[in-house]
Amino acid sequence: MSSCGNPDSSEADALMPRRLKYGRSRDCVRCREKPGNIVIRHAVYCRDCFSPLVTLKFRKALQPSINASAGTSKRPRLKADGNLLMAFSGGLGSSLLLDIVHRIYFSNESVLNENEEPVGGKNHPRNADVWPSATVCYVEVCNAFPGMRDSTEELRTVVSQYPCFEYVATRIEDAFDRSWWLRVGGLPSFSQLSVDIGNPTSCDLSIISALFTPAERSPTDCLLAYLSSLPTQTAISTAIQTFIRILTLYTARSRGASHLLLGTSLTSLSISLISSISQGGGYTTREELQEEWTQSGIGSTEIAPTIRIVRPLRDVTMKECAAYARWNNITVVGKQRVPATTQGIHSLTKDFIVGLEKDYPSTVSTIARTCAKLAPKDAPKGSCLLCQRPMQHDIQEWKNRISIRSFGEAKLASDLHTPPNPHNNMPPPPLSSQSIDQTLSLTPHLCYSCHTTLTSRSSRGLKSTGSLPVPLPVWVSPPLLDSARVVNPDEDRGEVFQNRQPMRDAIAEYLLES
Amino acid sequence: MSSDTLTLKVEFGGGLELLFSNKRIRDVTIPAFVPGDSSVPSPESESIQPTSLKQADVTFLLHYLREKHLTDRPELFMEKDTVRPGILVLINDTDWELEGEGDYVLKDKDEIVLISTLHGG
Ligand SMILES: [Zn+2]
Ligand SMILES: [Zn+2]
Repeated sequence: MSSCGNPDSSEADALMPRRLKYGRSRDCVRCREKPGNIVIRHAVYCRDCFSPLVTLKFRKALQPSINASAGTSKRPRLKADGNLLMAFSGGLGSSLLLDIVHRIYFSNESVLNENEEPVGGKNHPRNADVWPSATVCYVEVCNAFPGMRDSTEELRTVVSQYPCFEYVATRIEDAFDRSWWLRVGGLPSFSQLSVDIGNPTSCDLSIISALFTPAERSPTDCLLAYLSSLPTQTAISTAIQTFIRILTLYTARSRGASHLLLGTSLTSLSISLISSISQGGGYTTREELQEEWTQSGIGSTEIAPTIRIVRPLRDVTMKECAAYARWNNITVVGKQRVPATTQGIHSLTKDFIVGLEKDYPSTVSTIARTCAKLAPKDAPKGSCLLCQRPMQHDIQEWKNRISIRSFGEAKLASDLHTPPNPHNNMPPPPLSSQSIDQTLSLTPHLCYSCHTTLTSRSSRGLKSTGSLPVPLPVWVSPPLLDSARVVNPDEDRGEVFQNRQPMRDAIAEYLLES
Repeated sequence: MSSDTLTLKVEFGGGLELLFSNKRIRDVTIPAFVPGDSSVPSPESESIQPTSLKQADVTFLLHYLREKHLTDRPELFMEKDTVRPGILVLINDTDWELEGEGDYVLKDKDEIVLISTLHGG
């Protein structure tokens, strides 16, 4: 284990004496009759009492978020104002998610009361019409890493057990696929932007090219170029998570979903929380717990529908998930290990939390409960173009203040301002047009966490190959180009052209026009 | 069935079977009495001194599975003398935490289920 890995567990044992796993009795604490089958946070349950306990936690976490507004009724009829989309990975949590949602909301079972007993008689309203339709979305990541197999069809078979769920498979490289982007209703953009990540003299992310045509580089090539430009294993694993999240969100939007449900268990939630905070994501801690997403777009006046992202298993530990799956015959095909995730902060956090949960099961729920109390001090300044989460105000000014750099300050200062667009007040350029005629920077549109992910090169040396243009995901370009049309009318243009020429030279081979 | 051995049904789940030749269920026959340190005797070794024997328990079974059946990445299965955190162990469909964990003395025809919970959401 590396020096910043798990604390040595024998040392941990010495500091915190191991507690008894359960109280004095081996009998179920709920029915007080049957012998117990499982210990959950020091309490013993029998099999018959255990499963209703899990579905009760599930409904308590989900149901307050179903109706668009709380209304005045104490027990409002559950009715969502859109469709349902469930994110499915084949893993334990999302396999449970599908099964429990199907059981409670899409089969003809009765509405249950707080004790999981059917409410009313045969004619009592059913839960079956809470959402008009349900889609299951899987994001296949195999093309991002060598040696992974494609699980798309295997998971299709799992989902086909639930005839009322529609299965939609997307692929991680769709993040760079303009045809996918148009299919999910994204705003067309005439350029796919690239960014200069490898520039060792600056933390700034200058947009240097808008000139890749899809024919030149396949979405998979773009994805691999993007991932290989990232400075750390942690950054790669974070980028994959972000892409899966955004691909799922746009899929949800294209299906008219009002709710996106994730199979995040209490254990995996605690891992994400600690991992995210340790990567500079503290500002969006609340979004790790519960989040409402509206498609971001600078300057867009169109009102996009809001999607609620809910984690109904957020109070259920992985151990409970595993026992529930076994005792309810739920197929869990399992998620493949993603090579990049076996190293890095997320994986170390996982080892730590899972180890902690084994001996101190209550501590893990304390992490989630504590994080639920956190709130950012300031209102957000729009959302990050890359991860589309709320962005802290004046993040760049703050980052400049805390950063120590030995050179590149002048260049950075000039790059931080977006120069004027010569096409100002004109309609967007037609498809045949050349590159955006300016230097744009992505930096002011990124949250602290994404900017750090792209630029922190603590664990590797400077690239000897120099700067190469790195393609950006399809959802970044339209709002970024949009922003360029409205800002900074009085910038000195001469300096822009001075900056731009060397960049053009560096990427000349990719340019359509000379 | 000789009283010198125990035959157990061992089942893997949650992706753990991938470490065991992707076989989910197998019957495992182990000696009823095993070395006190849970070391797995090799067929060639001399018979062990009776004083160092104990009744076969779950800790021995884990060592036995690791020695005889594990095909990949032992560090994902065991840590020190027990299963890696994140693996749920059921003995006859009951959480092994209620049965004394590794100290549970195995009986003939016991069913042991090992499920990995680490394969995320
Ligand atoms: Zn009970
Ligand atoms: Zn971001």
